[in-house]
Amino acid sequence: MDKIKMTAGMTWALVCLVFMIVFYFGLGSFATGFSKLPFMKLNPNTSGGEVAGEVVMDNCTLVIRKPVFEGFLGERRKGFVQVDWRGEVSENINDTVDFNFDQIPDFIIVINRDLNDASLIAFNPVVKDIGLSAPTSYGWSVRVRINK
Amino acid sequence: MDENINNQSMRKSFGKSLLYTLPMFLLTFVLMTGGRPDFSDRHGTIALLITFVGLNILYFLMHYTGKTDKLRAVLFIVFALTLSFTLIKNMVDIRQTMTYSQGDILECNMPFCHLVIPMLILPAAFTQSIIYPGSILGGFASISAMVVLWLGASVILGRGFCSWGCFYGGWDDGFSRFRKRPVIRKIGDSWKWMPFAVLLMVALTSALALTPTYCDWICPFKAVTEFEEVTGIESAAKAGIFISLFGGLVVVLPILTRKRIQCSFLCPLGAINTLSNKVSPFTVKIDRQLCNDCLKCVQVCPVFALTKDDVKKGNVSIFCTKCGKCIDACPKQAIHYGIAGVPASRMVKFSRNIFLFVSFLFMAIFASGSIITVVKSFVNLFI
Repeated sequence: MDKIKMTAGMTWALVCLVFMIVFYFGLGSFATGFSKLPFMKLNPNTSGGEVAGEVVMDNCTLVIRKPVFEGFLGERRKGFVQVDWRGEVSENINDTVDFNFDQIPDFIIVINRDLNDASLIAFNPVVKDIGLSAPTSYGWSVRVRINK
Repeated sequence: MDENINNQSMRKSFGKSLLYTLPMFLLTFVLMTGGRPDFSDRHGTIALLITFVGLNILYFLMHYTGKTDKLRAVLFIVFALTLSFTLIKNMVDIRQTMTYSQGDILECNMPFCHLVIPMLILPAAFTQSIIYPGSILGGFASISAMVVLWLGASVILGRGFCSWGCFYGGWDDGFSRFRKRPVIRKIGDSWKWMPFAVLLMVALTSALALTPTYCDWICPFKAVTEFEEVTGIESAAKAGIFISLFGGLVVVLPILTRKRIQCSFLCPLGAINTLSNKVSPFTVKIDRQLCNDCLKCVQVCPVFALTKDDVKKGNVSIFCTKCGKCIDACPKQAIHYGIAGVPASRMVKFSRNIFLFVSFLFMAIFASGSIITVVKSFVNLFI
């Protein structure tokens, strides 16, 4: 029994030795392979959700994401919808957003970029308030809290 | 006298040490240059050569002197310092500040570090997604590359990752070596289970909130890498917590106790790595026939992995980070690196040689990138 244990231990150690030598050479491929696993995608709470639609404006594009309600076990009652302004965003943003694309405006968002001040006028009762409002490398992003 | 016996047992002749260093020399050269050395950038070449030579001298000395811990610590501490410098430099280059903004979170371009891994497990299992606002693949410190690096190292080294791979551990390790004697000697042994409680707490809270709570609220190393821009009470409180925990657990307590307090009592990844010690083929073994129960090993162990009972039973607990401090300190040469399944006192030199090769190669290549960056910055300043 002791000999079997010794042989197994030695074999495992030698496999590890070989693996360590190969490891760094193959790191790029291992990482690429790992990134293809089903769970290797950003959670919508992190990424902001999939793009639901775009509204092309004069100098920039308004990107409206799908509402995010994902929770740990099932969906939450409270969520958010992320809106991005991409391109040459004007100093003062004042846009009407229809996030569920039912042709009825859901909220108006007013942002003074200089003062980093954002305010919201809600038309849809599910729309609550502004969760996040921040400049990004591509323009500006806002997360508006909504209820289901 | 005893010290000499210990040194002589593991030390090799100059020629033999060179011979043992040769494979490391070749592998580090190929891996550091990507197999295609490009010497067109003069300063880059100087930095590469300094790093390459420095790494191989350390490895050579491990064989030549027969000592492990102090030489490992040199690289480990340099790794921690240079990594923090590189990370901050990268932040400053990209964002002109070492703080990150809400915009960086919204854009998901936060660099990923291995300490986030405990918080990813439950959401990955239940929601099939990653809750960290970083890049899955590509860019600086992608999630995929870091997880693969950690996984590979943890399977091979077990909790040895905490002494041979973690780019934060060097901070604790460095400060724990500041004083020759500890000021605080008596520390409850049961505190070493604390990381499991932290692990449970951050794993559950992260899963429920779907945000990495340890990074948001606890991680002491935010103080030396990047932290949220202070824009209000909440972000100020977070910054206060990061700095206090860093000051307390990484600086002050390690200095006073000569122990790696943050690694031993807080780190949730350390708790996972403790379990991975069961998978790794490399262990530390105590030869009861040689041991004289002086308990010097218990005294010097920086992570509370050895107790009086462990020594009497001839076992090293799963908390061991394989730093080699107890091995170097043992006056009777009763402790040595071993391989799972191989009895204590058998194949001692072979076990050490193979473990050193594997663990040093991992740390050397992992650390080389940030060391080269820092050396190059110095070269740019002076040449």
